[in-house]
Amino acid sequence: MATKEIPVTVKKDQDQSYKAIVVRQFKKNRSAVWALRFLFFIIGVGVFADFLANEKPLYAKFEGVTYFPVFNQYAIDLGIATKPERFNTIYDWKKVEYESVIWPPIPYSPTTQDKLNRDYKGPFEEQRVESTRFKHWIGTDKLGRDVMAGLIHGARVAMLVGVVSMSIASFIGIILGSFAGYFGDDKLKVTRITLILMLLTLPFAWFFGFQVRSYAIADSLNGGLLVLIGQMFFSLIIAAAVLLVPYLISRPLKRFPALGKQITIPVDILVSRFIEIFVSLPSFLLILSIIAILKAPNLYLVMAIIGLTSWTGIARLIRGELLRVRNLEYIEAAHALGYSQARTIFRHAIPNSLTPVLISIAFGVAGAILTESFLSFLGVGVPPEQVTWGSMLSAARSVPQAWWLAIFPGFAIFITVTIFNLMGEGLTDALDPRLKK
Amino acid sequence: MFSYISKRLLYFIPTFFIISFAAFGLSKMAPGDPVRLALGASDTGAGQSTEMMANEQAYYDMAEKLGMNLPTFYFSFTSAAVPDTLYRIVKSAERDNLARLIDQYGNWPQIEKYYHSLKAIEVGLFSITGDSSNFAQKNKVRQNYGALLATYEHDRIEFAIGQMVEAVQIPTMAPIKAQVLQVEQSYKDVVAMATPSKNLIPSFQWFGFNNQYNFWMFGNAPLFSNPEEHPNKGYGFLRGDFGISYKDKRPVTSKIGEAIGWTLMLNMIALTLSYLISIPLGVQTAVHKDSRFDKVSTIIMFALFSLPSFWIATMLINYFTTSQYGMNLFPTFGVSSPSINENSSFFAFLLDRIHHLILPIFCMTYGSFAYLSRQMRGGVLSVLRMDYVRTALAKGLPHEKVIWKHVFRNSLIPIITLFAYLFPAAISGALIIEIIFQIPGMGKLSYEAIIGRDYPIVFTVLMFSAILTMVGNLAADMMYALVDPRISFSKK
Repeated sequence: MATKEIPVTVKKDQDQSYKAIVVRQFKKNRSAVWALRFLFFIIGVGVFADFLANEKPLYAKFEGVTYFPVFNQYAIDLGIATKPERFNTIYDWKKVEYESVIWPPIPYSPTTQDKLNRDYKGPFEEQRVESTRFKHWIGTDKLGRDVMAGLIHGARVAMLVGVVSMSIASFIGIILGSFAGYFGDDKLKVTRITLILMLLTLPFAWFFGFQVRSYAIADSLNGGLLVLIGQMFFSLIIAAAVLLVPYLISRPLKRFPALGKQITIPVDILVSRFIEIFVSLPSFLLILSIIAILKAPNLYLVMAIIGLTSWTGIARLIRGELLRVRNLEYIEAAHALGYSQARTIFRHAIPNSLTPVLISIAFGVAGAILTESFLSFLGVGVPPEQVTWGSMLSAARSVPQAWWLAIFPGFAIFITVTIFNLMGEGLTDALDPRLKK
Repeated sequence: MFSYISKRLLYFIPTFFIISFAAFGLSKMAPGDPVRLALGASDTGAGQSTEMMANEQAYYDMAEKLGMNLPTFYFSFTSAAVPDTLYRIVKSAERDNLARLIDQYGNWPQIEKYYHSLKAIEVGLFSITGDSSNFAQKNKVRQNYGALLATYEHDRIEFAIGQMVEAVQIPTMAPIKAQVLQVEQSYKDVVAMATPSKNLIPSFQWFGFNNQYNFWMFGNAPLFSNPEEHPNKGYGFLRGDFGISYKDKRPVTSKIGEAIGWTLMLNMIALTLSYLISIPLGVQTAVHKDSRFDKVSTIIMFALFSLPSFWIATMLINYFTTSQYGMNLFPTFGVSSPSINENSSFFAFLLDRIHHLILPIFCMTYGSFAYLSRQMRGGVLSVLRMDYVRTALAKGLPHEKVIWKHVFRNSLIPIITLFAYLFPAAISGALIIEIIFQIPGMGKLSYEAIIGRDYPIVFTVLMFSAILTMVGNLAADMMYALVDPRISFSKK
């Protein structure tokens, strides 16, 4: 039964919905609002990094032909265009004789090695560049790579770390936490025969989903994040398909009273114990040991591992919220309307308890960015050619005179972490029930 | 209360074993051969036959000493194509490669024959006296033999076998011609009689208690026996036998014993300092809420809380320990100067220590001190809102007295209990500082062990930090209940 929205008659600033109150409270917190603006800025830098710092021009006309090299690269990566023949003979885009050209603001990629400005050229030192247009504004590193370009592309890595790791953490945390909270220790009932058959089939689901495909999954580690997710997803589908078998078999068998007896599964106890065990794990050492066994360093895998070890806070929050929500009238109404358990949980219970999770996610992103940058600082888990804020900072360790390598990337990490902490604070205040009047 | 504690202690057991499975599984998934790591020297496979035989013997002896010749776990749940005797191939690289071949072709009898025919070449190569006429050919066979042991891709195997067959065509290589042709034939059999469908049949195998995990955890010495009676037996993790470091062959116990002192000392100093600063600061900022002092210090605390300590540490090292910027005030790394020895006076020794430890302790302190003072401020503020504070003020008690007698005491509770949570976190937090400042504590030890795949140390460190975290969490919960009578763990 679909319900149409009731037409809004109250003015917007009088909107008394929970969300509106939270937004209003959040807006009162000036530092949090500024943090949010800064965040949009950093996200913008991360998204448009290729247009802000690139060794290729945005627009170029030479030998009578017009090119858009940066856009062209995107098209090639997407597989909808081919590389123009002429590009293969260009080794240094700065050397091409252009009829007209538009460079990105920073005309260097993070990996571009400026051979004339090697060995740590500072911002105030004399640089061997054609004009101020090609100046390295905040210096170069040992290989002559532009620090500003590295900072810009590092923003993309930092945002990706936050998004990927927290998506994984939220996914696991929300699923486990909501099951624990919604079902509690008394609501999930299965028949005896289904439970027994399911438990018996579980090893087989693992076998066909993961054991048989273990080499396919292991090989996909070298193929990037999407390949890995695809392989894992495929494995999960197989495992789910195997588990469907005992479910279907048990359906006719339920009629026998001895087999069809209902058993309550204490979901809350099981999940809470699991969380308790997980919290006791020394997570940073664990992350470090997992990354150390990888054959090839892979940034996406680092993000995934950070996500896999930081879901417990989210799960606890969601569990607490749902323990409260599940006794509310509208959940009862959903039952009365005959909605399925899945629909009640995912469409009605979870969306109404997601707001507090935002706090956990905001602080979680700050932590994930810190962990990743420290790992790159140690040189663990990042491919050597990948430029991140942490890897730039680590270069400063061996060369104290290159102060620009210590100040700027470190400041970028600090600002980003502060932004997320401020937003977490702002959300905490905005969601504080004592402030709701 | 007692039942609560014993219940919590009971939960330690599954947690302990789960962490041990994780640590053990990680070490099994790691690339590299632990036996070779433990042997230290890398044998190249070349050289005289006697030397090679000695190397092989040393390898198997070490494998037996480390328990690597045993099955991995109590049971395995693999496909029917994998034989239950695969673990007997001790060299992990060869075993992994065979497992790949099984995954491709699924016919162990043929693969086993292929493996043995391949191994026969190694022996055969020694029967050929090398001279100038067959030098190139002999090398070619040896190289391709090595390549075949490490590859499972069809094209590469065909190519390597082709190269070998080519090399044995000259008369001086005749003694191993038969072996090489045997390899060619047995590989053809592997491909021809492939049964990849066997990989889809699950099979369960029980290996019993004589396995690697059991050996690591419980050892193989008799239950109640004296270590001196069985010097060659393992006593297992649970009986305090943590093994020997692969890197320098020293017992793990002594290495960790040395390191833990440093970490504990640093953390105790850092935590004490942060408490000493943050408690008065928190109270002052809360009492003078919204004053300029409060606003400024809140901003500073927030900034300190977000400052990555590895950045600060790097900057401090760069600016205060080098002559580059004219501020060479502190030593860069380590915990003592080379000029300090046993003859130095205690005062000089102490001064040198302090000189070395100021920067690391500062880096470890500021983060937790910022966090603590924010907590303290929040705690005081929430107590100030309480009715009993208003009552105390209303009945005319002096403001100072209300703050220190009523508010301060009650807001101290959450801060004190934070200690139990902070402590395990501080241990791993010290990792960053120890690595940057080269302090020989637990953090540096575990980092170097992880990077160097020194698994006896990694196991032990992981297990101990987990135990410490569990104990810390339990202690925090206990302290909550002890200091706050409203919290009770027993069911009413």
